[in-house]
Amino acid sequence: MALAKGDPVLSMHGIVKTFGGVRALDGANLEVEAGNIQGLVGQNGAGKSTLIKILAGIHRPDAGSITIRGLHCPHLTPRQVEHLGIHFIHQDRLLVPTFTVGEAMFLGAEPGIGRLPFLNRREMARQATTILRDHFDVRLAGGALISELTPAERQIVQISRALLRDPAILVFDEPTAALVRREVDRLFEIIRRLQAKGITIVYISHYLSEIESLCDQVTVLRNGVDVGHVSLKSSSTTEIVSLMLNRDIDEMFPKRAVPIGEPVLKLNEVSARGAFNEISLTLHRGEILGLTGLLGSGAKELVQSLFGLVRLHGGTIEIGSERTKVSSPPSAVSKKLALVPEDRRAHGVALQMSVRENVTLASLQRFVCFGFLQPGREKTATNELIRKLSIHTASQASPVGDLSGGNQQKVVLAKWLSRQSALYLLDEPTVGVDVGAKVEIYRLIGELAEQGAGILLLSSDLLELLGIADRILVMYRGQLAGEFNPANSTSADLLSCATGTSAVSEYVNAVSAESGR
Amino acid sequence: MTDEGNGQNRESPKEPAREGSVGLMEPPVATTKGDGPPINGALLLRAGSLMGFVLVIAYFALVAPGFLSVGNITNVLEQSAILGVLSFGMTIVMIAGGSNVITGGIDLSIANNLGLSAAVYAILLKTGQPDIVALSLTLLTGLAVGLLNAIAVVSIGILPLIATLTVMNICAGFELVITQNTVLQASSPLLAVLAGDGPFGIATLAYLLLIIGLILIAVIEYTPFGLRLYAVGGFREAALAAGLSVNRYIATSYILSGICASIGAVLSVALLSGSSTGSGDMLLSVVVTALLGVVFSRRLVPTISGSLLSVLFIGFLINGFQLTNISSYWVNGVEGLLILFAVATTSLVRRREA
Repeated sequence: MALAKGDPVLSMHGIVKTFGGVRALDGANLEVEAGNIQGLVGQNGAGKSTLIKILAGIHRPDAGSITIRGLHCPHLTPRQVEHLGIHFIHQDRLLVPTFTVGEAMFLGAEPGIGRLPFLNRREMARQATTILRDHFDVRLAGGALISELTPAERQIVQISRALLRDPAILVFDEPTAALVRREVDRLFEIIRRLQAKGITIVYISHYLSEIESLCDQVTVLRNGVDVGHVSLKSSSTTEIVSLMLNRDIDEMFPKRAVPIGEPVLKLNEVSARGAFNEISLTLHRGEILGLTGLLGSGAKELVQSLFGLVRLHGGTIEIGSERTKVSSPPSAVSKKLALVPEDRRAHGVALQMSVRENVTLASLQRFVCFGFLQPGREKTATNELIRKLSIHTASQASPVGDLSGGNQQKVVLAKWLSRQSALYLLDEPTVGVDVGAKVEIYRLIGELAEQGAGILLLSSDLLELLGIADRILVMYRGQLAGEFNPANSTSADLLSCATGTSAVSEYVNAVSAESGR
Repeated sequence: MTDEGNGQNRESPKEPAREGSVGLMEPPVATTKGDGPPINGALLLRAGSLMGFVLVIAYFALVAPGFLSVGNITNVLEQSAILGVLSFGMTIVMIAGGSNVITGGIDLSIANNLGLSAAVYAILLKTGQPDIVALSLTLLTGLAVGLLNAIAVVSIGILPLIATLTVMNICAGFELVITQNTVLQASSPLLAVLAGDGPFGIATLAYLLLIIGLILIAVIEYTPFGLRLYAVGGFREAALAAGLSVNRYIATSYILSGICASIGAVLSVALLSGSSTGSGDMLLSVVVTALLGVVFSRRLVPTISGSLLSVLFIGFLINGFQLTNISSYWVNGVEGLLILFAVATTSLVRRREA
């Protein structure tokens, strides 16, 4: 690393790449200075991953030039990239689960026993343990199996793997996708430590909070072009957001004035053992009721119990002024309840099935005539929903697994929309979704409310709750701890209530009688 | 959703509480299921399987006189040699192909490859070729079949299950063409040595099973080559990211399997003093032993040593049946049960730990 801090260590200039007629990159530039942490942001489909795959030598650009550490590289190959000291930390942590930590780190460059061509497992384990301890203060046995590690530990093993190869540039591609908050902090600390050692970092993410707290410079990609190079010393994330979106942040939360109607859901002192206690609340037609709470607050279980996924032990539920019981998901569906679950891969969509099949799955009765499906009607209905939700898909017949996260989420929403439910339970509907798709999902939620549905929105994104909810309930340790009016509350209010830091539960707004402790 | 609850119960104490999940535009918290402390089903399974092995042997030792005599043990080793060598080949293919039952590595042609190679060997000896020529051409035949599998799977990209099924039929066809569905008698100096006894009056085939087993254990379990085979089968993308030429390793595994089949053919001609029909019947046993071997490994992956253990297990089982006058027709049923046992338990344990 003969380069001084600030010298350009990597520059990609005018990169063009077309896939089957679609321009993924249209003259994108990326300039990285030595010793910096360079951010790369953009919505899904903006061309981030294509640019990175070109840098990794996986794709060959149609046009453009790449200079790495002063060396002009017209035809990058993965091997050459590695020789030039560029290493990648992928989001899916490419480690063999049945390997030990030592084996995973040294795979491809295994130490032998003396000159014999045998694996030196003891040496691999010893070195692995040492590297993890010295660089990261992590105490892991080099002989532990990868499958026994947490996602964060696997990430650290992957970083160590790169460090073994003496990297000049480390590229982190969406590294926090599977990490919890504390692990993210730890990762950032590690990245800063790597920077202090003189390693240049390229950090790709669509979480602006991460970019803001970590990066020195940010390149914003939109539609295959770099639309801005921002120094975070001098500008704020709002500037980045508007560059990414090409619109103002205020437009992110489309506000609608919807008249609040009669109650559609009433809970009277419902409890579930070990999750929540004597919760009472009312949700009206046309209302978006926000609900938030930390893990273990019972908020998630409350939503699940309404769909029959968690058993209640007391209290009553009224749906549309009728006392009822929700014992199972089918009974919930028959009562016109719809759930959009957080883990859509596990519960929301069938990835290998087509967009059309997924969209109509929950409402097949509507398309049946004499026991047979009517493909024509299915197609029309699906087309309408694809258009309405702006789902980006090649066709109705594409498998949902081919869609981006945001579009998968929209398919889940479409699935329930095609049923026209009266009550929507949305569990973290925008998790893992890029900003542009978020806006569309917000718009859609607003439309549902406009049509007179009641919406219970469980979210841990406080900005989102403040942006679109009419009321926000905060849960803390199985109790309702506060009710807020978004118009005169801040995220700090919500957060202090949810973490129990406020002395007594703060009732910023008038407390409705039934939401007491 | 209900199983998410379970997932959280299993959460590792190392994993901090997700208290940061509320925040302004904070990264969403993905559920990380099952990253808990291993319940160590693998260990239990391994201990249980070894225990089962020991119990079966103990039972036969009690009820069948002479079961544990040196003579009988070497007899079992000798009888197991052919199955063992085929099982090693299958194991190598399974290591490099991964454990997915549908798309993973499997060499269905291996038993018929043995039949074809044995026919080639026998006919060459019959036509008066010297041992060295016959042996090299036999090994070449096995290698060629392996190469055909490799081309079908790697270059053309056919699912191994289908590709090797097709090659299996090709082998069976060629074998019939050569042998006209008869037994070809063969004898040669080499065959005399192989069919005889080695030092201490123990059958040469018994020695060969152990020697080939030890060599392959060393190569597959203790060299970088072996580790990379496991990487290719365990997580293809990880192997690619580590700069390995994945296709070359997979192709090599099929070629090694083909060579194993032709070595098995030489042993078989020695044991039976000629080629024999019906080699394809061995396929089920080969699959059983390679799959059963998985339960003997800490990581629940196929290993040569595990396969050797399960080959001996099956060998002792059949031998015990014979000594206690249980009809050998039961063997097929028992093998089927063992496949079920191995596949079911390993996939259960894997699912819990994955």
